[in-house]
Amino acid sequence: MDYYKFNFISPEDFSVIDKQLVKVRSEDLLPLHSEEPEFTDSDPEWKEDYATELDGFIAIDEPWKPKSKEEEEALVSRFIEGLKKLLDKENNWTFLQPLKLSIKNCMKCNLCSEACAIYQSCKKEIYRPTYRAEVLRRIIKRYIKPGVFGKLSSDIELNARTVMRLAELAYRCTICRRCTQTCPIGIDNGLITREIRKLFSQELGIAPKALHKQGTISHLLDGSSVGLSPVGFRSFIKEIEKDIEQLTGKRYRLPVDVKGVDILLVHSILDYIYYPETIASFAIILEKAGYEWTLSSKIPVLDAVNYGMWYDDVQLARIALKHVEAGKDLDVNRIVVGESGHGHTTLMAAADRFFTDEYDVPRESYIPLLWEIVRKREIKIDMDASDFPVTLHDPCHISRYVGIVKPQRNILREICPQFREMHPNGVYNYCCGGGSGFAIMNSMNFPEWRNKIASRIKIRQITEAFDTDLNPGIRKYVCAPCSNCKKTINEALSYHGLRRKYRIRCGGIAELVVNAMVDVESKILRSYV
Amino acid sequence: MLWLQILVYISIGIFAILILAKVIKYSTMPLHLRWELYPVPHEKFKAEYGGSYYEEPEWWKKPRETSLAGELKEMLLEMIFIKRVFEYKRRLWYLTFPFHMGIYLMLIWFALLFLNAITSIAGFGVGDQLIVAIGGLGITLLSFGCVGLLLKRISDKSLRSYSTSVDYFNLLFILAVTVTGILAWTSDPNFTAAKASMMSLVTFSALPDLSPSQTIHMTLLSLLVAYIPTTKMTHFVAKYFTYHKILWEDTPNIVGSPLREKIKEVLSYKVSWSAPHIRQGITWAEEAMEIEPVMEVRAKLAEERKGK
Repeated sequence: MDYYKFNFISPEDFSVIDKQLVKVRSEDLLPLHSEEPEFTDSDPEWKEDYATELDGFIAIDEPWKPKSKEEEEALVSRFIEGLKKLLDKENNWTFLQPLKLSIKNCMKCNLCSEACAIYQSCKKEIYRPTYRAEVLRRIIKRYIKPGVFGKLSSDIELNARTVMRLAELAYRCTICRRCTQTCPIGIDNGLITREIRKLFSQELGIAPKALHKQGTISHLLDGSSVGLSPVGFRSFIKEIEKDIEQLTGKRYRLPVDVKGVDILLVHSILDYIYYPETIASFAIILEKAGYEWTLSSKIPVLDAVNYGMWYDDVQLARIALKHVEAGKDLDVNRIVVGESGHGHTTLMAAADRFFTDEYDVPRESYIPLLWEIVRKREIKIDMDASDFPVTLHDPCHISRYVGIVKPQRNILREICPQFREMHPNGVYNYCCGGGSGFAIMNSMNFPEWRNKIASRIKIRQITEAFDTDLNPGIRKYVCAPCSNCKKTINEALSYHGLRRKYRIRCGGIAELVVNAMVDVESKILRSYV
Repeated sequence: MLWLQILVYISIGIFAILILAKVIKYSTMPLHLRWELYPVPHEKFKAEYGGSYYEEPEWWKKPRETSLAGELKEMLLEMIFIKRVFEYKRRLWYLTFPFHMGIYLMLIWFALLFLNAITSIAGFGVGDQLIVAIGGLGITLLSFGCVGLLLKRISDKSLRSYSTSVDYFNLLFILAVTVTGILAWTSDPNFTAAKASMMSLVTFSALPDLSPSQTIHMTLLSLLVAYIPTTKMTHFVAKYFTYHKILWEDTPNIVGSPLREKIKEVLSYKVSWSAPHIRQGITWAEEAMEIEPVMEVRAKLAEERKGK
């Protein structure tokens, strides 16, 4: 047996057990009406280059495993250096206060586990929100700030195995922060996860490729997080304009780099690639409602995402400043964030503290704007056009992180007669499973972990919301106003065989609005369903 | 018993100084990135469902409506009733609620003893019956909760595994104080000695004669008071910062905001992270504009690909 056979693994076991710490099996999983495939066996060669010591899944798809004793020692010492910087005022002013408060004051009641979608999906000890926090806490107590009782409080040994496992474990949490909502003291285990990721990225340069080398690096140099350049972006725009003309019989313009207009609209690049109907819908709505707006083809503004949000403060700052700078250069009144959940948090909340006087461009979400357009009847609406079962997924970064809850519900109640809530919802929603970068991390066996574990509760919520309409003769729509959520949910629905079996599809909110517009000839939504 | 009286004064002094130091330490930490979490209870008319001012189109043109009452209500529900434990882990609440309620009642008891001493000096001692009722109830609840939490921590594997020796020591220390407190109380059901001791402490006169159990209790209690600020038992201080300064801190950074000065200050801090995409030794403001290290990472990647 190449894995540890007991489920119960205490924090001190983390550095001691020399086998794979955990193996998740089908029987461990929360029951689900699903046609999901069995777990696949991992490639035995992976353990040569990647950290398979945790649970056999690989999030960090860089070959970073030390090959010799010297390399192991170097890894540990670089980790300690990074940890010191994480606790240092100048290097980590960004989160020093929240981090220190969370490290020092946890009463270890494990209340947070009750709220965690990942722990509840399979009840593996290492997936508890407290687990990785406790490992980090014990390392700090023993190696950085032992104090009077340091040794008594910590029995964890810091070796290369501990470091590798901790790095992987930082990518078994979607940073949805549901756990933080439950904590009576306000301990933020989601933040601790992010801080561990940050240590590895900012000190050791280690992060999943999709976030770093193919993510923020590509975003800052090429234009977008998938490598799409401004030239490619413009050809996408032309294609979408042609699509709209074909579908509606009317030419709608997607203005790019127009100066002096009211709105700079920023979309996630994933919407251009996977959900062009969302981009098209925004164009139709804004033109019909009479707004003056523009997109930007500038690097990295053509893509609203900011993966720095999930693992690196330096990259977060670089991308956020460039987004706002573009608004200033185009002399717009406001920047409106499209269907990118974490794009909301980045531009409206977290990165708000990077902006000085030269970056005075107000930022807002597209959702209240869309509700205003519908409410004021700036477009003509057929309230029965979308008469099929619709439920709403609340992206964590739109509800829990920035508090936008009601306008999207108002829109759906107005235009979808069969709208129903999933439970829990709003700020107490469950993450789709694609949060914190998981939506775009598709290397090796990580998608299997995401689909089986991270998205599990969301899939159950969706089927429960449609339980009276599961008949495949009825098409059903999960409205998820975030590109990462849409992608994750659609992939999970397919993985679990529910997209075909129950005819459930996930899409955005803008296309539902266009679907309800009486003066748009062909229905955008119908063409894509 | 001069030594005991001095110990009491020193313990109270240590407690006050260390708590103050902790408050100063946390309140002088640098500005952090915005990291609020909804529901934020001061959002007027929106807190109930978790909404924020971001639900308004062009929110910056509208007045921000906040409600101190909303924040106080949420804070008190959490402090007094430990609402989140009640909602998410009821079995634990049956232990932690009496424990915390016991502490609050004992604090009220001390306040009543103090009031009794002051009013007695003025010639009319008040609160005798309340002192008996609150003290008795407080120590009973506190002892029950403490024993329960200790047993729970030992018997529940998922709690035991995360508990360190210090966690047990803290609970045992409190238990020792409550057990000796009960012994002292049973030998003095009307808290006569407690009232006389408070009078001595307030008037700086000699302590009354105390029984061995009363002496041990007062000694242990004094030591506990001095010890608490060095532990996470000061989470009542932490909680203020985690909620008010982090999870409920949603002040927007708009023109004219005093935040701008603080932002300038933190952006002038130096960066010394070592990853290849970061340039060491420059300020955060410079780093955020610096793209060269990112280009170097890309160039290195291209070279590696070429090498393969």
